[in-house]
Amino acid sequence: MKLCVCVCVCVCVCVSVCACACACVCVRCCVRALLRACVAACVRCCVRALLRALVCILRDAGETREVFQKHQPTHVIHLAAMVGGLFKNMRANLDFWRNNIYINDNVLQAAHEVDAVRVVSCLSTCIFPDKTTYPIDETMIHNGPPHKSNFGYSYAKRMLDVYNRAYHDQERGRFYTAVIPTNVFGPHDNFNIKDGHVLPGLIHKAYIAQKEGSPLVVWGSGTPRRQFIYSLDLARLFLWVLTEYQEVEPIILSVGEEEEVSIKEAAEAVVEVMRFKGQVTYDTTKADGQFKKTASNAKLRQYCPSFTFTPFKQALKETCDWFVANYDSARK
Amino acid sequence: MEDNILDQSAPMRVLVTGGTGLVGRAIQHVVREERGIREGEEWIFLSSTDANLMDAGETREVFQKHQPTHVIHLAAMVGGLFKNMRANLDFWRNNIYINDNVLQAAHEVDAVRVVSCLSTCIFPDKTTYPIDETMIHNGPPHKSNFGYSYAKRMLDVYNRAYHDQERGRFYTAVIPTNVFGPHDNFNIKDGHVLPGLIHKAYIAQKEGSPLVVWGSGTPRRQFIYSLDLARLFLWVLTEYQEVEPIILSVGEEEEVSIKEAAEAVVEVMRFKGQVTYDTTKADGQFKKTASNAKLRQYCPSFTFTPFKQGTFIHSTGNLRKTFWENSGECGLVFTVCLVLPSIALKETCDWFVANYDSARK
Repeated sequence: MKLCVCVCVCVCVCVSVCACACACVCVRCCVRALLRACVAACVRCCVRALLRALVCILRDAGETREVFQKHQPTHVIHLAAMVGGLFKNMRANLDFWRNNIYINDNVLQAAHEVDAVRVVSCLSTCIFPDKTTYPIDETMIHNGPPHKSNFGYSYAKRMLDVYNRAYHDQERGRFYTAVIPTNVFGPHDNFNIKDGHVLPGLIHKAYIAQKEGSPLVVWGSGTPRRQFIYSLDLARLFLWVLTEYQEVEPIILSVGEEEEVSIKEAAEAVVEVMRFKGQVTYDTTKADGQFKKTASNAKLRQYCPSFTFTPFKQALKETCDWFVANYDSARK
Repeated sequence: MEDNILDQSAPMRVLVTGGTGLVGRAIQHVVREERGIREGEEWIFLSSTDANLMDAGETREVFQKHQPTHVIHLAAMVGGLFKNMRANLDFWRNNIYINDNVLQAAHEVDAVRVVSCLSTCIFPDKTTYPIDETMIHNGPPHKSNFGYSYAKRMLDVYNRAYHDQERGRFYTAVIPTNVFGPHDNFNIKDGHVLPGLIHKAYIAQKEGSPLVVWGSGTPRRQFIYSLDLARLFLWVLTEYQEVEPIILSVGEEEEVSIKEAAEAVVEVMRFKGQVTYDTTKADGQFKKTASNAKLRQYCPSFTFTPFKQGTFIHSTGNLRKTFWENSGECGLVFTVCLVLPSIALKETCDWFVANYDSARK
């Protein structure tokens, strides 16, 4: 099995190159600190640039075809996308729609042309209908318009399910499929406070608040509820889907509904793990976003009744420890 | 920049993609023979030989060449039930490419208006009736043509996204029910139901064989004559102000069964042989009953050419021109002659018989 994961981050190469360049320039004072800062900045830039470049490559049909022809994958995990936070989505729904449709079309068609037997794409519970009943399940994806703030991204992701059905229908029963994770968190996340997701944002804020002796300010009321899935658990399930899951219909990968926590509970867990001793306040002038997106993992449980998710606090600790140890190079 | 789509003083340069198809030909007829081309105006009707709209470069080139201010976007990969069932992937991908290329090229030349064409066949399969414009995305479409349906639905997404992100562009779409008329695709295997029936009746008459209707004959459809659709398209192009789409259809009460449509074809074609129903063939969606209430709010006095029986005063070409000159609203009052049987179907059948050799089939 030749696996091609369409997200590549070649950090180690960039670090060594940038370290040499910086060392030549910074000789006299604070060499180590400056070197660390340069390396960190270069790594961040390189990572961002690589990710942007990868998205640009996949935005182009010819370049996508070329990389697939080069590697001849038999299996594909398709994670690449144009992503962003709430406000970026609201400003650029057209770009989110067009860029992601192009990426998805290019990747799936290129995979089909090299006769890849399996493509597993990645959707998200944020693409479900805005007006809905709960819990949401896999059959409900197309049952109404998504939230208007990110309709471009949402429709592009929904159309991955259409691609999968169409390839299965027309092209000799291809079994291309998709997973639907809930809120993912873990090491290597985007910890940017403005653009990132809620949990890495809280971790980063707690880190800064701890250093500065200032309050931890949680945006919103703290009442919205989320199901969090640890990235390593998601990765384990992704590999199961890649080799064992036989359906074209997508599958929700999530902890159970009973594991849903409020943002307030998530913030308190971060405080405990980060050993934050300061004050915690809630800025209710900030938007709460969707109140809940409760998803059913009943289908996953039918297939994998004994899969054990990493307990939330343990997963959170591993994530926080990683962030603190890699603060300089973390995406933020 | 504020789109001033009410500015009727500036002459339009209108590009029609799919300009030589069923609806494109109807618009050509209405523009040239009824409305007339106004001073300074330009109408360009593209065909597939002018540009491959699935190719971004060729699309951009043809838009750069003509610099349209207005676009009627009709070009699409289309087909009847059985063709769709065979090729959902192709219908999805080809139409997404065409739509993306056309809309982006139009935006790049700063076209103030694009009116695209959806269809009632793209609505949710499981739904309440009648369907209306707010329900497009409320569930999966019928599985027989989901590729085509989703591609067409995404035109509505494009329109909203262009409006959101690009300085309030007012690109919009119309949603016709089943269109029929001269210049249709009369291919029995790949075409739509009414032209298919006409062609089959023609052959059955020649060969003295039965007319075999595919399916049970029970599904129900609203049919809109291509010339009526063309008249309404022109109203939408210049008067309709919303990004939200609008259904262009006869009323719910005009819905007929496939059996009734077949019987009307038999009558018009004067077919004397046996009519049978092949129930081993798929019926497709049972009904797609659409509400034209929004159209009626805007155009309360628009009169459709009857599909079946009716009696009206015959209007001359001059009389029609007078109506165009004087109508400042969608009160395009069409008084059309109907001598039994129905004029729309008869005009279509007559055209097919007269143009059998060159008709698309």
